[in-house]
Amino acid sequence: MNDVVFSVRNLVKEFPSRDGAAPLRVLKGLDLVVRRNEFICILGPSGCGKSTFLNILSGLDPRYSGEIDVGGRKFKAGKPPLRIGYLFQEPRLLPWLTAEQNVDFAMRSCRIPASRWTALKDRHFHLTRLDAFRGHYPHQMSGGMCQRLALVRALCVEPDVLLMDEPFSGLDELTARRLRVDLLDIWRDTSKTIIFVTHNSYEASFLSDRILMMSQGEVQQEIPIDVARPRDYDDPEIFEINRRVVKLFLEVAQAAAPATP
Amino acid sequence: MMIRLVSIAAAIALWWLLSLAFTASVLPGPWLTLQTLVENIAAGNVLIHLWMTLVRVTAGLALALLIGVPIGVLMGLYRQVERALDLWVMVGLTVPSLCYALVCFIWLGLNEAATIVAIGITAAPSIAINLWEGVKNIDTRLVAMARVFEARRWTVFRRVVLPQVLPYVMASVRFGLGIIWKIAVLVELIGRPNGVGFQLFYWYQLADMPQVLAWTLLFTIVMLIIELAILKPIEHRLFSWRPRVEL
Repeated sequence: MNDVVFSVRNLVKEFPSRDGAAPLRVLKGLDLVVRRNEFICILGPSGCGKSTFLNILSGLDPRYSGEIDVGGRKFKAGKPPLRIGYLFQEPRLLPWLTAEQNVDFAMRSCRIPASRWTALKDRHFHLTRLDAFRGHYPHQMSGGMCQRLALVRALCVEPDVLLMDEPFSGLDELTARRLRVDLLDIWRDTSKTIIFVTHNSYEASFLSDRILMMSQGEVQQEIPIDVARPRDYDDPEIFEINRRVVKLFLEVAQAAAPATP
Repeated sequence: MMIRLVSIAAAIALWWLLSLAFTASVLPGPWLTLQTLVENIAAGNVLIHLWMTLVRVTAGLALALLIGVPIGVLMGLYRQVERALDLWVMVGLTVPSLCYALVCFIWLGLNEAATIVAIGITAAPSIAINLWEGVKNIDTRLVAMARVFEARRWTVFRRVVLPQVLPYVMASVRFGLGIIWKIAVLVELIGRPNGVGFQLFYWYQLADMPQVLAWTLLFTIVMLIIELAILKPIEHRLFSWRPRVEL
């Protein structure tokens, strides 16, 4: 199968505990297949291991057990064989560089040939409507603009996969909503593979092709979202799906912690 | 700028008013002090003393940075180094500079090397503490970001870590310089045949207050020039990206 980008089998991640007790198991045998150009949302409550999973996929965390194949090749610990674009929960911009220099930094680090820089920047600054702010410093921009700039940075390195870790959770609802709509447009225009982590079920229902519901370090449910694209944020169909997703979400959460009311 | 000028004028006025109440051997006025200073400069023996002090200060600062920066950085990076050294940095900070000066003169002799070593060792602990604090405050989330974007180790250091530590280096240079001026004069007083400290002590022994104040004034002016003409512009260039704090 040529169009499989990631295939993850039995991924286990443990954090050693401090006082000699049993280590904390954050991922307990995660299985997942991600296909090219797919938009996947991983939905789960805080502390379910979502971010840990992204850290492993991005190569930041080389200590895990299990198998990860990338395009048919083995994933070497700490060195993903494909280019990752990462959107963190916070923008994580370098405050002493202007918007454009921040993007340059990432492109230089990823060794994107300099001849392509201008075209890449023009395109993505335009897509995110940040053209007028290329010379601004991050502290001169709003939170939403900073996150959009982080998206420009992630796209300009021409990633094979975009990993997004609750990128809109720190923004106000109006800004977040606009960015979600923008993200789908950009995704359509750039045809990337996206793995998007969130705890917001409506966000997941609106954005993704598939929702993987995660809890207790495992994927508990897989929910395909068959709404035609382009999607309308206020589509009743998405509301309906979201209702089902929330219901499942509650069931999964209850199964995980039956003692709590 | 206006406020600064007014505050300087006010200080000189206050000095002048106070000096009216005392004789010149206790508190000479601004005019007499300035006259003494100008006469000294005209007599031509000021530059060599000032130069010697400046050389000692610069060399001492360089030595202090050479000792303090690596210690501070290592303490910030590694917990083991931190545990091994934090007590000694505190001890180093507490020992009076006079003790360092005396020990250095006894061990190394009454020479330039001993002077510079004494100055460097006295100032090193406070520089180490500054850097220690600075390295601990490095935003590791930015480091993770750079690694995700495949930045090499050296790039991460130069473009992500260094800019975060630089303000602390700058602060410790400033802070260190302030301490070092004071130590340098003290060390000159006890062990050197020239320099501003030597001159101060010489005139003190002759109970010549106008001369004591003239040398103090000279010293202060030179320090201000260094601060305004060298440190401020460097700081401005390095940190112009930083937003101003407005309360």
